[in-house]
Amino acid sequence: MKKLIIQAFKLMIGFYTVVIVGYLFRHYIFTFTALRKSDNSCSDDFEDHLYEPTVSIVIPARNEEKVIGQLLQRMTELTYPMEKLKEVIVINDASSDATGQIAEEYSKHYSFIRVIHRDKKTGGKGKPSAINSCLHLLTGVIVLFFDADYIPQIDIVEKLVRGFVNPNVGAIQGRPVVYNEPKNLVTKIIALERIGGYCIGQKARDDLGLTPQFGGTVGGFRRAFLEEIGSLDESMLTDDTDWTFLVRLHGYKVRYIDDAECYEEAVDSWSAYWKQRHRWALGHMQVCFKHGWSVVKSRKLCLKEKIDGLLLLHLYFLPVATLFSWLAGIMLVLFEPSPAVYTMWYFTPMSLYILAANSAPFFEIGIGTYLDERTRIQWLIPLLLFSYLFNILICTKAFFDLLFSKVLRKQKNSWAKTNHNGGENRYSGIRS
Amino acid sequence: MQFKDNPVFAMLFLEAVAICLLISFRFINLESTVNLLWFNLLFVSMTFILKAPLNRKLGLLALGNVLGVFCNFYYRLFHSAGCLIFGDPFSLVYVILYPFFNFMWIVTFWSLSLAALSSQAKGRR
Repeated sequence: MKKLIIQAFKLMIGFYTVVIVGYLFRHYIFTFTALRKSDNSCSDDFEDHLYEPTVSIVIPARNEEKVIGQLLQRMTELTYPMEKLKEVIVINDASSDATGQIAEEYSKHYSFIRVIHRDKKTGGKGKPSAINSCLHLLTGVIVLFFDADYIPQIDIVEKLVRGFVNPNVGAIQGRPVVYNEPKNLVTKIIALERIGGYCIGQKARDDLGLTPQFGGTVGGFRRAFLEEIGSLDESMLTDDTDWTFLVRLHGYKVRYIDDAECYEEAVDSWSAYWKQRHRWALGHMQVCFKHGWSVVKSRKLCLKEKIDGLLLLHLYFLPVATLFSWLAGIMLVLFEPSPAVYTMWYFTPMSLYILAANSAPFFEIGIGTYLDERTRIQWLIPLLLFSYLFNILICTKAFFDLLFSKVLRKQKNSWAKTNHNGGENRYSGIRS
Repeated sequence: MQFKDNPVFAMLFLEAVAICLLISFRFINLESTVNLLWFNLLFVSMTFILKAPLNRKLGLLALGNVLGVFCNFYYRLFHSAGCLIFGDPFSLVYVILYPFFNFMWIVTFWSLSLAALSSQAKGRR
């Protein structure tokens, strides 16, 4: 029996090492591609196109009184032709604060801003549910989404919609940049993760013809696609990942536009970080169960897209696998100490080099900061080790939560809302 | 001839790297040599493609190897001291922690090197 367990542990570690090497290879290709493309001055294939379709903007908001004003103010300053901007729809999703009043105030001053109020009975069920409530009202050819705590560039609509000039493109993603980065260590770590994820990961995926991930905000869809799918799956905690795979499985492409920047307020405490990442991990795992098999058998995806799609879908399982492999490795070292086992163990924690921050390797983040010309923040890269250890705990908890909900057939779908305080950009009335 | 173009310095740095590898293999242990090789692989593959003078990159590589030898030497001393105080079971603790210790110096040095190369590239622009 003991021998069997030891063999099982060895197999587990061996399999894990192969998977980790696969991810290492993937991220190395991403980093190398981003570096190579950064030298290529004419990398942006959207640059020469003038495309101005009609646009609808959707802003789901729940208890966002501290930040909704700054976003609506920015909506009034957009440089996109007003006759093409059909509507800005604010969904006041059963807020118990002044979110609805602030939105109404803007709505009175600007005719293109509309507010939908959802009461406690119908609202508060999460972002997909809120968005579903307004889909029938949209009239623009392109629908863009912004979270309430985001501050977009004034020309962001032009930058985002130019990607839709290709009729095969179904979704577009812009780049979120953390504006409260100097606040504390948590915001700095999140800024690093964002730089690695967007400046390298998303950009490289786009350059390699793979699928950049739609982030649920700072991006949008062709309305035809939304009409095709009818409504969003309200049981999904990460609607963004769900949408990404829906777009691809319906035969559309997702594109990433690096210069369409939008400034976001990152969570600023470890407890808020835990809540947010737990939701992401749980939602991502849900999407993996929902779309995993569809990706494998899809005829609309080529082999490289299938491989990348599957690696993306399983991303949040990696920290869980890491924890189990570490535990198995430590057991082996303790109960069967031998040079062969020591060597095996030595390679197991090597995953640290590959998965440092939110499953992006430290070199990907480092090169991202290099391309972004962010010298000082590079000093913090070693601290990503601690955020990764934290993520291992978060993802393991999410994994077991999902497992229990599957076994007990209880779909507990509580929406862990992230609180935003707006910092220095807090709402202080309509500016003309 | 300036420092950044001088092949003598480049040779010197490469020799320093080779000496560090030999020292780690001969006087520390095989694991430390594997760690240095891993560091060299990461460093060369991820920083040598950046825009900076070759000698600067080689200098940082050599410095990283010297640091690696020192770190591994001290880990070895730590191991010996631990075994002396706590007995042989300490070896297992050391084996488990060893990859984490190495992660710390490799990533820290790589990040600082990247910062040094970035600031120079930024200054040039």
